[in-house]
Amino acid sequence: MTTATTGMTDETPLFGPESQFSAFFDDPRWALAMIRATVLEAAHPQIGAALVDNSTFVAHPWRRLRNTFLSMRRMFGADSSVREREAARLNRLHARMSGSDSRGRAYDAMDRATRAWVVATLFESAVTMCRLSGQPLGQDIMERMYAEYRAFLAALDGDAAELPEDLNDFWQYFDRVVENELENTEAARVILYRLFDHLPAPALLDGAPALWAAGRAVAGPLLGAITVASLPEPYRRRAGLPEMPGASTLMQGAYLAAGLARFLPAGWINAESIIETLSLSPDSDDPRARTVAALRSRMKRAAALLRLLTPPSGDPEPDRSSPTGTDEGRRSAEDFFRTVLDQTGDGHLDWPDLAAMARELSTRLDLDEPEETRLYDAFAAWWRELQAALDTDGDGRVSAQEYAAAVPSLAGPALIRVAEVLFEVTDKDGSGTIDANEYRALFRTAFHRDLTTTDGTHGRSAFVGDFLAFMSGRRTSSPYDPLLADA
Amino acid sequence: MDGNGRWAQRRSLPRTAGHQAAETAVIDIIEAARAAGVEWLSLYAFSTENWNRPGPEVEFLMRLVRRVVRKHAPLLLARGIRCRFLGVTDPRVPHALARDFDDLTTLTADNRGMTLTVAFDHGGRRDIVEAARSLILSGTPADEVTERLFADHLPYPDTPDVDLVIRTSGEQRISNFMLWQVAYAEWVFPEALWPDFRASDFLACLHTYRCRDRRFGGVPPRTNGDRS
Repeated sequence: MTTATTGMTDETPLFGPESQFSAFFDDPRWALAMIRATVLEAAHPQIGAALVDNSTFVAHPWRRLRNTFLSMRRMFGADSSVREREAARLNRLHARMSGSDSRGRAYDAMDRATRAWVVATLFESAVTMCRLSGQPLGQDIMERMYAEYRAFLAALDGDAAELPEDLNDFWQYFDRVVENELENTEAARVILYRLFDHLPAPALLDGAPALWAAGRAVAGPLLGAITVASLPEPYRRRAGLPEMPGASTLMQGAYLAAGLARFLPAGWINAESIIETLSLSPDSDDPRARTVAALRSRMKRAAALLRLLTPPSGDPEPDRSSPTGTDEGRRSAEDFFRTVLDQTGDGHLDWPDLAAMARELSTRLDLDEPEETRLYDAFAAWWRELQAALDTDGDGRVSAQEYAAAVPSLAGPALIRVAEVLFEVTDKDGSGTIDANEYRALFRTAFHRDLTTTDGTHGRSAFVGDFLAFMSGRRTSSPYDPLLADA
Repeated sequence: MDGNGRWAQRRSLPRTAGHQAAETAVIDIIEAARAAGVEWLSLYAFSTENWNRPGPEVEFLMRLVRRVVRKHAPLLLARGIRCRFLGVTDPRVPHALARDFDDLTTLTADNRGMTLTVAFDHGGRRDIVEAARSLILSGTPADEVTERLFADHLPYPDTPDVDLVIRTSGEQRISNFMLWQVAYAEWVFPEALWPDFRASDFLACLHTYRCRDRRFGGVPPRTNGDRS
C-alpha cells in the first residue's frame, strides 16, 4: 500500500483485496458509517421515496443487511466477471423500481444523478468515519479511495461522469447536494427514529425476545443520537433534527471506541462471519448451528429466569386465545400477513411486497435473465389475482383486515403458477427434480428429514405442494420460514 | 395434597388459609424426597374436577400457585430439580401462570437431580384419551398397538411406573390420578392433613413402602427391598 501512494495509483488494482475499501471492510467503525450513509441516502427525496415504497429494511433488516453486504463484496472483489454480473443484477433490480412519492414527484431507481449520490454518501461516510475517530486519512489515500468509489459507480453505470473527477470538486458537489437537495424525508425519519426502536431480532437471537428487547431499548436511542450527531450540520438544521447536549461527545466517543478495535489481533472482527452468524437459523445443518442452538437454549433459560424473578405485573392478562397462534404449527392470519406477506413493513400488501419476495428468491438462486423476469412475471400475475380477490375497498392495496377476511381464496391458479416457475428456476439443470445442491441454493440448508424426498431429490408436485402449504396453509417451521419470514 | 380445607376449618380459618399453609409442606416434602434419594416425585396440585370448586377459591389457587412457582424457582434450580407440569391444557388456566410453568420447565430442563412433576389441571383419563388420539393420528395399525407403544404416546413418556402413592388426610380414592402409571403402585394413606404433613411423615411413608412385599402379580421374591 505504501509503495503505491508515491507513484501511479494504477499500479495496484482499484478493486480486490488490496483496495482501500477492503481495508475498511471488517472495521467496526464501518457499521456506524453505514448507518450514517444510509440516512444521507434516504434524505435524498428520490431515494427516500424508493426506500419507503420498496425496501424491506423495516420488516427484514437483517436479511437486507446480509444481501447488501454480499453484493458489496462482489462489487469490490477482484474478479471482474463477478463484478459485471453483480452490476447487471443490481441494474435489473433497480430498473424494476420506479413510482412517485407522497407529494406526487416521480422517482426512478435508475436515475444516474441519484445513483451517484449513493456512491458519494458511501465515500463521504468512510472519510468522515476516519475523521471522527481521530485517525484522519491522508490526502493520497483519500484520492485513491475516491478513485475506487468512482470505479464502483462506473461499474454500475458505465461511466462515473455524474461524480466530479477531482476530489476537490467532490466536496463542493457534496456540500451543494446536502444544502440544496436533501430533505427531511420519511425514510430518513424511519431510519433514525423507528428502525432501531423496533428492530426485530436476528435469527440468532430470535429465541430470547426479552433479552433482545432490553438491549434494543438501550442501544436504539443511542444509535439514533450517535447517527444524528454525525450528520452534516446543514442537513440537521434543514431536517429539524434535535441538538442534544453531549450528543456530539457521545458520537465521537463511539467512533473512537470502535476505532480502537484496530488494536485487537487480526481476524478477531470479521464482518462476514458476524453477519453469517447473525442470520444463522437453528434448523440449518451448519456445524455452527449446534453451538448456536446450545447457546440459544442457555439464553432461553436466562430469559425464563429473568421473567420468573421480575415481580408479577398486576394488570389482567389478555386471554390465552389471542396471542397464541402457534397451535399445530399454524400461525394466525395476522402473523402470516405481518411476517411473510408485508415485506416492506408498511402494514399493507402491495406490489412492492411481492416484488421483494421475487427479489429475495432471485437473489438466493442467483438468477440471470430470462429466468428472473419469468419469476417476476409470475409474482406480478399473482399480485393481480390477489388484488382482484382481496382488495374489497378498491384502494389498490390489501390491508391486513381485507386479507384476514378472505384467506381461503389465496391459493388461486396464479399462486400455483408462481410455485411452478419457482420450481423450474430452482431446477437449474432441468432434470425435473430438485437435487441436494439446488435445494441448498434456495434454502441454504440440506433436505429436511420430513420432506417427501425420493432418492435424494425433490419432485415437482411435492415442491409445489410445500410452497402452497406455506403460502396459503400458513404452516410454520417450513424451510420457507428463514427465507421469507425471518427478520 | 388433601386436607387443606379441613385443616383451615379446624382452625376456624377460611379455606384459602389452608391452601396458603400447604406451601410450607410442599417445599418441605420436595426437600425431603430429594435428600432421601427419590428420583421421581409427582405432586397432584389441581385436578380437572377441581374446576368445579367455587370461582373465588379457584382464582385464589391460581394466584397462589403462581406466587409459589415464582418464589421458589431459584431454589428449585439451585437444588438440581427438574420441574415439569402435567396437564395445564384448560383455557381457564391464566396465561401468565401457564407462561411461568413454561419458564420454570425451560429453566430447570437440564437438571438431573430429581424430576418433580406437578400435576396441574390433570386428569388420568384425559391423558389416556390423548394418548389414544395421538396413536390413531400416527396411523399405527391396530395389531401393532402394545402397552409399551401406547405408553409412548402418554404425556411425558419417560415417566416410569409409579411405585408409591401417598394420599394424605385419610382419603382412600384414586381421584383420576395418573391412571396408567399407578397400575402396580403401592398406596399409603396417612391421617395427617397436607398442611401438617412434614418430612418425618414422608419418611415414615417411605419406610412403610420398603416393608411392603411387592410381587407385581407373581410369586414373592426371595429378599425384600431390592428394588429402590
